[in-house]
Amino acid sequence: MTEILHWDELHLGHSLIPASHVNRGEYVRLVMNYPCQFSFMQHMFQLAQECRESNWKMWLQSEEAIYPSGTPEFSSHIGSMIHHRGIIANLTLRENLLLPFLYHGDQQRLECAADEMVEVARWLELDSFLDDKAGERTTFTHALVSLARCMLARPAIIVAQEVHIGMPPDHLERFRRVSMQALEELGSGLLYLTASVDEGSGLEYARTLTIAQDCQNSGQTEGE
Amino acid sequence: MNRRADKLGNAVIHIVAEVRRAYRLTRGVLAAGIKMQWLAKPAVTNVVFRQIYFTGVESVSWVVLVALGVGVLSVYNIVDFARSIQDMSLIGQLISDLLVTEVAPLIVTILLLSRSGVAVVTELGTMHVRGEDLTLSSMGISREEYLLWPRLMAFTLCGLILTFIFVFVSIWLGGLLVSMNEEINFIDFLIEVRRGTTMEEIVMLLVKGTLYPMLSAIMLLNMGCKVGREPNLIPVYATQGVLGSLMLVVMSDALIALIVGLS
Repeated sequence: MTEILHWDELHLGHSLIPASHVNRGEYVRLVMNYPCQFSFMQHMFQLAQECRESNWKMWLQSEEAIYPSGTPEFSSHIGSMIHHRGIIANLTLRENLLLPFLYHGDQQRLECAADEMVEVARWLELDSFLDDKAGERTTFTHALVSLARCMLARPAIIVAQEVHIGMPPDHLERFRRVSMQALEELGSGLLYLTASVDEGSGLEYARTLTIAQDCQNSGQTEGE
Repeated sequence: MNRRADKLGNAVIHIVAEVRRAYRLTRGVLAAGIKMQWLAKPAVTNVVFRQIYFTGVESVSWVVLVALGVGVLSVYNIVDFARSIQDMSLIGQLISDLLVTEVAPLIVTILLLSRSGVAVVTELGTMHVRGEDLTLSSMGISREEYLLWPRLMAFTLCGLILTFIFVFVSIWLGGLLVSMNEEINFIDFLIEVRRGTTMEEIVMLLVKGTLYPMLSAIMLLNMGCKVGREPNLIPVYATQGVLGSLMLVVMSDALIALIVGLS
C-alpha cells in the first residue's frame, strides 16, 4: 500500500504553506500558529462543496484512486488526533471509539472494531471507564481515545494536532510511549501540527516545515 | 439621507444573506434526510431516537396538562357563548375553527420551543465552540445527516403528533369536564364537534402541525450553526432562535389565514 497525502501551496490567512507530502510510515511536522493549524484542518476535512469540485489543493493518492480533501472517502483514509477536540462530549467513550464504524454502517467492520476495541481499551487502560461520558474525562483520556480510534480504523495517514499539550508530566510520558508504539505497529504516516518545535511528542520527523506568518520566511528542515 | 440609505441597504443585504444561508442549510439537511441512507446508519438512528425521546416523549405530559387547561377554558366559553345566543350548532364550528386549526398548532409549537428550542441551539452552539463539527468531519461524518437531520425530523414529527394529542385531549377532556358541570351533555357535545369539523380543517391541522415545528426547527438549527467559535454568543443566538421561530410561526399563521381568506 502506497498512500501519500499531498498538498499544493496553500494560502491560509496571511500564511503560506508550501507544497509538500506525507508518505505512509513517514513522520512530518508542520510548525505554525493555532489559527493556521485550524484552517489547515478545515481545508482537510471541511472543504465546502463548491471548493471541493473546483479548488481542492489537498488529496490522498492511493494505488486505486485519488481522494480530494473534504470528501468522506478522504476522511475515512485519514485518522485524526485533535487537541481537546478528538471526542464528542455527550457520547460515552465506547460510543466515541465506535462512532465512525456505527456511522458508516458496515456491519462486518463494526463487529471487527467492537471486538478489537476490547483489546485496545485494555492496552490503553481505558476499559474500566468506557461507559463514562467523554466530556467528563481529562485531556489525557481524550488523547487516548483519539489514539484508540486510529488504532481501530488503521488509517494510511494520521493528522495529529498538539495532542501532547496540556497533560501532566507522568501522563505525557505514558502517552508518548503508547503513541510511539501504536504508530510503529500501525505503520501509518503522521502529519504533526504544532505551534512549537518543543511539542514533546518524542518522535523523529523526516521533515519539519516551519511556517512564518508573513508569507515570506517559511522554511523546511530535514530530520528532527 | 445617505447614512439612512446605507443603513437600509446594509439591512437588506443582511436579510438576503440570512435567507440564503437558511435556504442552503435547509436544502442540505433535507437532501441528507430524504436520501434515507441514514436508516442504515446506527449512529444516526441512535441520535434520531434520542431526539424523538427528548422532544416528543418527554413533552407529552406537558402537552396533556396544557391541553386540559386550554380545552376546559375553550369548551366552557364556547358552550357558554352558544347557549347565550341559543345556537348550539355553533359549538362544533367554533371548536373546529379556533381550537383545532388555530390554537392547537400554535400552542404546541410554543411548548416545543420553550422546552427544546433553547436546548437545540445551545447544544449545537457548544458543539461548534468545542470544534466537534471538525471532529465529525474528520471521521467522514456528515454534519447535516448526523447532527441536523435528526433534530429537524424529531421536531417536525413530534410537533405533528403532539398537535393531534393536544386536539384530542383538549376536546375530549375539556368536553368531559364541562359536561360534568351540566353545561351540555357529553355525547351531544361530541356530535356537535363532529358535525362542525370538515376535512379541509383536518388537512389544515396537518399542514400547520407539520409546518410550524419544521419552520421553528430550521430557524433553531440555523442559529445553532451560526455560533462559530465564540461561547459568549451561545445565549445570544439561543434567544434569537426562540424569538425568531416564534415570529416566523406567527407570520406564517397570518399568511396562511390571508391566503385561505383570499381563496
